[in-house]
Amino acid sequence: MPPRIVEIIRGMRGGGDRNVARLRRKRAITHLCWKSWPILSLTLLVTGYAWMLTIPSTLHGQKTYIDENALQPSQVTTYWGWTDVHRTDGYLDALEALRDRNASGNEYANYISTEFRKLGVPAATQNYQILTSSEPLNGTNAFAILSAPRASGAEAMIVSASRISMDGHLNLRGISTVLSLAAFLKGYSLWAKDLIFIVSDGYLDGMQAWLTAYHGLSQSNIISEPLTLSSGSIWTALNIDYPGHSFSHLGIFFEGLNGRLPNQDLLNSFQKISLYTGGVPVTVYDHYERGEFPDRDLADIPWWVPHAAMNIEAVKEYVYRAKNIMRHVGYQARGRASGVHGLMHQFRIDAFTMFAIPSAGPHGFHALGRVLESTLRTTNNLLERLHASFFFYLLVGTTTFMKIGSYLPAPVLVSTAMLFSGLGEWARARWAEEPVGPDEKEREPGLGTQWVQRKRPVLPAILFVIGTHLNGVLLFCLIASPWASRNKIFTYPFLVAQAFLFPLLLSLATTKTSSPSTTAPTYQILKSINLCLASTVISITSVLNFSLAATLAILLGPPLIWSGPGKYRHIKAAGYCVLGLGWLLLLPQEVQKALWNWEVLGVWFAPFVCTVYVPLVVQAAIATVLIH
Amino acid sequence: MFSALIYSFLFLSAHVFSIHAQEFFQEQLTLRPHRDGTVLGHFAFTTLLKSATPREPETIRIEDTSQHYTLFPLALGQVLREYAITELHLSLNAGKWSYDRWGYPEEDGVGTGAELWAWMAEGPGASVDERWRGLRSNLAGLFCASLGSMDEQRTTSPSLTFLPEGDLPGPSTPYQLRHGTLPSENVCTENLTPFLKLLPCKSLSGIASLLNPHRLFDADWHGMGIHVRYVENAGVEVRLTFQGVFDPVRYSTDGKRDWSLHSIFDRTIQKTCPVARHSKIRLISTTDAVDVSPAPNTFNAAFSVYDVNTVSKPLDISMQWSNESHFEYPLSLDSPPPTHISVRRTLKGTEQSRGQLAIVIENHQDKQIKASYLETMPWLLQFHLNSIQVKWNSAPRDDLMSIVSYIPPVPHSRPTLLQSVLTLPPNGTMDLTIDVTKPFLRYTEHPPDAQRGWDLPPAVFRPLIIANDSNLRRLPRIYTPILLVDLATPDFSMPYNVIIMSCTLIALIFGSVFNLLTRKFVLTKIPNEPPQ
Repeated sequence: MPPRIVEIIRGMRGGGDRNVARLRRKRAITHLCWKSWPILSLTLLVTGYAWMLTIPSTLHGQKTYIDENALQPSQVTTYWGWTDVHRTDGYLDALEALRDRNASGNEYANYISTEFRKLGVPAATQNYQILTSSEPLNGTNAFAILSAPRASGAEAMIVSASRISMDGHLNLRGISTVLSLAAFLKGYSLWAKDLIFIVSDGYLDGMQAWLTAYHGLSQSNIISEPLTLSSGSIWTALNIDYPGHSFSHLGIFFEGLNGRLPNQDLLNSFQKISLYTGGVPVTVYDHYERGEFPDRDLADIPWWVPHAAMNIEAVKEYVYRAKNIMRHVGYQARGRASGVHGLMHQFRIDAFTMFAIPSAGPHGFHALGRVLESTLRTTNNLLERLHASFFFYLLVGTTTFMKIGSYLPAPVLVSTAMLFSGLGEWARARWAEEPVGPDEKEREPGLGTQWVQRKRPVLPAILFVIGTHLNGVLLFCLIASPWASRNKIFTYPFLVAQAFLFPLLLSLATTKTSSPSTTAPTYQILKSINLCLASTVISITSVLNFSLAATLAILLGPPLIWSGPGKYRHIKAAGYCVLGLGWLLLLPQEVQKALWNWEVLGVWFAPFVCTVYVPLVVQAAIATVLIH
Repeated sequence: MFSALIYSFLFLSAHVFSIHAQEFFQEQLTLRPHRDGTVLGHFAFTTLLKSATPREPETIRIEDTSQHYTLFPLALGQVLREYAITELHLSLNAGKWSYDRWGYPEEDGVGTGAELWAWMAEGPGASVDERWRGLRSNLAGLFCASLGSMDEQRTTSPSLTFLPEGDLPGPSTPYQLRHGTLPSENVCTENLTPFLKLLPCKSLSGIASLLNPHRLFDADWHGMGIHVRYVENAGVEVRLTFQGVFDPVRYSTDGKRDWSLHSIFDRTIQKTCPVARHSKIRLISTTDAVDVSPAPNTFNAAFSVYDVNTVSKPLDISMQWSNESHFEYPLSLDSPPPTHISVRRTLKGTEQSRGQLAIVIENHQDKQIKASYLETMPWLLQFHLNSIQVKWNSAPRDDLMSIVSYIPPVPHSRPTLLQSVLTLPPNGTMDLTIDVTKPFLRYTEHPPDAQRGWDLPPAVFRPLIIANDSNLRRLPRIYTPILLVDLATPDFSMPYNVIIMSCTLIALIFGSVFNLLTRKFVLTKIPNEPPQ
């Protein structure tokens, strides 16, 4: 070894006792960490946000593929033909007659179940009533169960259509497709699973009533008839949404309640089948793929992008992907179902909605029937439930997706930054810098300072944390109460006071002053706990609901890190008020929707915001206004 | 020379006659059109071994007397003798029998999958369980079915529901029942081929020539059965059966329900089976106006009979609804329904650890019915007996159910046996619910298709007494469809991740503990000068 290198090594080891050197090295490292934690946490924060910005870029993403070999998409000859289209047209005529005389949901259900019976498929109807804080929802579902010949009926697949489409129109073409499919599929003995045809009333409410009855769940606000027909455990479901006259593309909607996603194999198979068997291109949601209508691509690009950048392919691709991701986050973060299929994921049914994007042409019942037949043949092939680890993904394009490893680090990095800030705050609370001197009288300026250890009383801060979360529960109860929804103008200022001002004033009133040289100030300990708690919430949520975690990371990251007293603490506190409770005044529609989703479908978003998100912001506000 | 010839002729004829006196073979096909356009075809091939008795289990250790069979299936006879089986029923079925649409089947055993039950005399030679095990393995080999896996975890003794269909010889001999089900077993050509080999005419002539696997296994429901019983003063009888529910509407191009033997089986009867003593086709009459051709040999209000031995061949029975342009399905089910009771059994709940078994029983009669209710559940689903709730027309009526016997399951070894008697008041619906626990399996206990779930055997009901019913005949058993239960299943596609993860954890824990245990703690003084 060259003598120079040996010297360097010896220098690093330090002379003398090896143990002493080691201890010194340890101290030096600790010192370095201690000195650089603000930089470290800032770096993590910046990296996290930068990662989020790169998610739509072409740096990430890979081509979709089929993981489950049994699926064999688009490998069968389809037999759906023009006679079947003709029959579908017949059903459509009858349904349009019902529509023209403004028939009730009950009449629709009776017509549909009678038609099923005429085909020799056992059918029944189910009346239901859902009580909500606004008005009760009444309706009638019609459903039929085609027992597969030769099969034990232990497994089943659903083909469904809701009476109301996701765009608010009547889904008559979807319903007639379901009816006609039943007639067509009965002619084959190759089905290995029972086929359940459901025409649910309303948009989401009918299916919720049907699914809870089928799985024997009791939901206190749903009064529904028991189902008189039964089948086995349901594995997959296809929901048809066809509101227009013709369609140009089939859009995939796949987000389920509380951020659940179906197995991606199902979506990939459908994409292949639709394109190669039906000849119908597939889109993610109703977003046309880039390049199909070049003019529309440009329309999606924000105005502030320089004109020169607009025609760069990478920019266009970024905008297209960002649009898909934003739509996905919009559904998933709010725990909202993007279609009727979304109610099924909680029962371990892999489901999605195929939305026939209304257009002047060129496709209709013929293409849709073939796609459905082939997709059902594919899901019929399944010997086991779809189970490969394909439940976490971001579908950024029709044939491009991101694996969990490529997007999850973004919110996790932000939450790590918050954790480091919180731990740093905790360590800082331990130490106070004060002038050197044995007691106060003998202190002279200029002698320098020394670090003294302080007590860190955790109890007051913990009480604030628990108190704010309990107050959040109260806030949720108040918002969800029927009284609040009727008298919004009176209650909302009161709610802001209850959720925000009251805890602030109470904490100001109860916090006692103490000497900063012996006891750490409460705001510091509160901030530390607040940051650690928020970081934990984000990192745990990230594996359950990525979109929610990312939204929390964006909303909570900097505000919580930079909380604490300062010059403009009152302005900061007002900012926290807007951040925490602004939605109450700015987004009243969202509040109503979130509450309806909680009441009827059991979506956790509304209680989560009230009991987790708002209290975290309020804690930061308390840490800001407290001076002790 | 001449006398020798006569002698040998006499000897031969005596021999032949003696055999014909010993064994009778008859075959029968029942055809029953249903209201929903389907046709039930039920084949029964019966061989009677005259004045034979089942082997006594005392003689099981000594060599058996030689058995000479001409018509009686030798492969089956040997199994019966080897394990001294008195009565045996094996059924292999595919599909879900719809009692509401098709009524009672011609053969009781229509539960999906395989079902085997046998009555055996107790004896000192070999224990009943040993003989049951041997019987299972032998039948598995004979019929190419996985009956071997119908082991102790699936064997029960439900003697309330499965009474012997024949007689049990010896008034003082104790008998035991063994019953097992395998709901995920399927039936296909590999089972039918050995079945046909047991027939004296194979599928070459007679009614058996209609057994065309291409059509049989395309039926909406199909199943084969082997039934052995001992009838006092007659002998040992083997009945080989095949049932199928065929859908002529599915085969027709113009949506009509007309059918013929040729349209259903793609075959007609060309010649008779020469050894069949009787060969009959029974056609159950319908209330509709139908044209039946050819004319039957005999007929009455209930059915028409064709004697295949005498009728002209090729025989192709057909039934035509000539005044129907196409078949219209009935809009409502028959009233009164074709069965006394109808049963729906479902597994509710979505949790991986708990659930609820819900059974809905409707009594269609305006008379009170007592019915036995049997669950032979593998330990994969464990009942909480204290949670049983019985409701009659939505009002709690726990008195309507009385439990006759309950054997709790032993995890990894023994199934549950729940035998009970239900009292069903006239015209109404009973809701019966039992809370169940889904146990946690050892990872080696999962099947290769772990994410499919486990098939659970059907529940069996049997109406016992119908009040004020004077013609008390033996009422058939009613099987519910099978269920599929999802148990907590590990993600088997990730074993390496799990192994790597747990190894890392173990290494970390071991490393720190080892470090602490072997480290020497010493006092070191650090001089106060700053490090270089």
